[in-house]
Amino acid sequence: MLTKRQNFMETIKGGNPDRFVKQFEFLDFIYEAPMEIDPEPGTEIKNGWGITWRWPEGQLGAFPVHDDEHKVLKDITEWKKYVKAPSVDFPEERWAAAIEHANSIDRNEQFVAVFVAPGLFEMTHNLMGMEDALMSFYEEPEAMHELIDYLVEWEISYAKQLIEHLHPDALYHHDDWGSQISTFFAPQMFEEFFLPAYKKIYRFYKDNGVKIIIHHSDSYGATLVPYMIELGIDVWQGVMTTNNTPELIKKYGKQISFMGEIDSGTVDFPGWTPELVAEHVEKACKDCGKLYFIPNLTQGMDWGSFPGVYESTDEAIDRMSKEMF
Amino acid sequence: MSKIEEVKVKLEAGKAKLVPGLVQEALDEGNEVKNILQAMVDSMGVVGDKFSSGEIFVPEMLMAAKAMSKGVDVLKPLLVGDTISSLGTCIMGTVEGDLHDIGKNLVAMMFESAGFEMVDLGVDVSAAKFIEAIKENKNVTLVALSGLLTTTMPAMKESVQTIKASGLTGFKVIVGGAPVTAEFAAAIGADGFAPDAGSAAVKAAELVKA
Repeated sequence: MLTKRQNFMETIKGGNPDRFVKQFEFLDFIYEAPMEIDPEPGTEIKNGWGITWRWPEGQLGAFPVHDDEHKVLKDITEWKKYVKAPSVDFPEERWAAAIEHANSIDRNEQFVAVFVAPGLFEMTHNLMGMEDALMSFYEEPEAMHELIDYLVEWEISYAKQLIEHLHPDALYHHDDWGSQISTFFAPQMFEEFFLPAYKKIYRFYKDNGVKIIIHHSDSYGATLVPYMIELGIDVWQGVMTTNNTPELIKKYGKQISFMGEIDSGTVDFPGWTPELVAEHVEKACKDCGKLYFIPNLTQGMDWGSFPGVYESTDEAIDRMSKEMF
Repeated sequence: MSKIEEVKVKLEAGKAKLVPGLVQEALDEGNEVKNILQAMVDSMGVVGDKFSSGEIFVPEMLMAAKAMSKGVDVLKPLLVGDTISSLGTCIMGTVEGDLHDIGKNLVAMMFESAGFEMVDLGVDVSAAKFIEAIKENKNVTLVALSGLLTTTMPAMKESVQTIKASGLTGFKVIVGGAPVTAEFAAAIGADGFAPDAGSAAVKAAELVKA
């Protein structure tokens, strides 16, 4: 039996996996690594960038607050005045637990994985609000390029710290680039603003020992796949059913793998049942096949929003492995 | 190309800095205010169609809405004793328990461009708040409810049914958002549904004119 890591590699290289990769089993996330934190449910924080995050009780996650009082960047042309990156020089004791965790992982069994979020586009709208960010690509493109360059520099400085301390094998990087039916921007806009920026970041990780890059965008994004390949992304995590994933696998599978196809919204809600989960997992596995595909809840990370959903998805994938392998 | 045609072309291209000047030039040429306004409303319809078909994306739509708004600003002083909105007032909000506002904001811009006077209640809006707003505002012809989460679909159902059972009349109810389907909209008693911001404005106008 292949290890989780070997089975993952066989899957994405078009080899001979002996079962489906079961969601995030191939990664061991070093969550202890110092990074910007989210608030706890029912609380509010201001992070190192000055962005206020609020997690109201009963919600599934935290939201950046963008009223006049809280918005960090009200005028993109003044970004240098208002956007101040937090330091990435954490005291060594902040790294201790993360290093210990990384050292405890059998790298033949799993990848030592670091998690980076928010991504570049998310940072622009976290700082400015979505409408302002999207209009600024047209109204003040030079300032947007400058801001994105600044964010890239910060990301790379943080990447250096992660690499130096943890020597990760895999990067799981978040940046939502679309809604469930469309990308937020035209592919050409992505090409202008984000392709060169992400090339720098992802190349830096790969040049420094990271073997696998998994990019998260739980959305439509089929039109961006050629760019994802150009960026060196190995796995697009979060691919939703709206993308026609089986077609993407046929067209691009040898260059990039697809992880998702079980839309979280359809199975991860208070009234979920194991039968419903099993139905969606079966369809995903049968539609997408054994190679270049990892069945997974699209929302990302190795948990679900409601208790039991992630585990039930794992169990359903195990059953499909028995049936199809 | 006539000045009104130029207004339309630049508005569809989202040229917010150019449209006000062109609107003024169209006025100076002697075009009637209502004709210029109608041309701009028609252009936003084209923008909505292009968005629905995937030809343009959110930034282009936002820029066109901004151009529309700047153009309308030029016309506003000339609409004395009248109102820009010809389709009535729309009460809009994201349903209780849901904080997503991007889709709602886009739809609000498109509705405003189509001729609604918008009352945006924001996010996390309870059924009681919707009803209070319907009572407080004049000429309410449409109530629009948005929701992005499957977990807040029950809140949408409750809001629609509470609004419908309130005894208040004179308006239609439209719903939308990622998990919402035409079947769900019909099942909860909404009068209309649209899958995206572009087609929502067309559907809304149809509903209130019916």
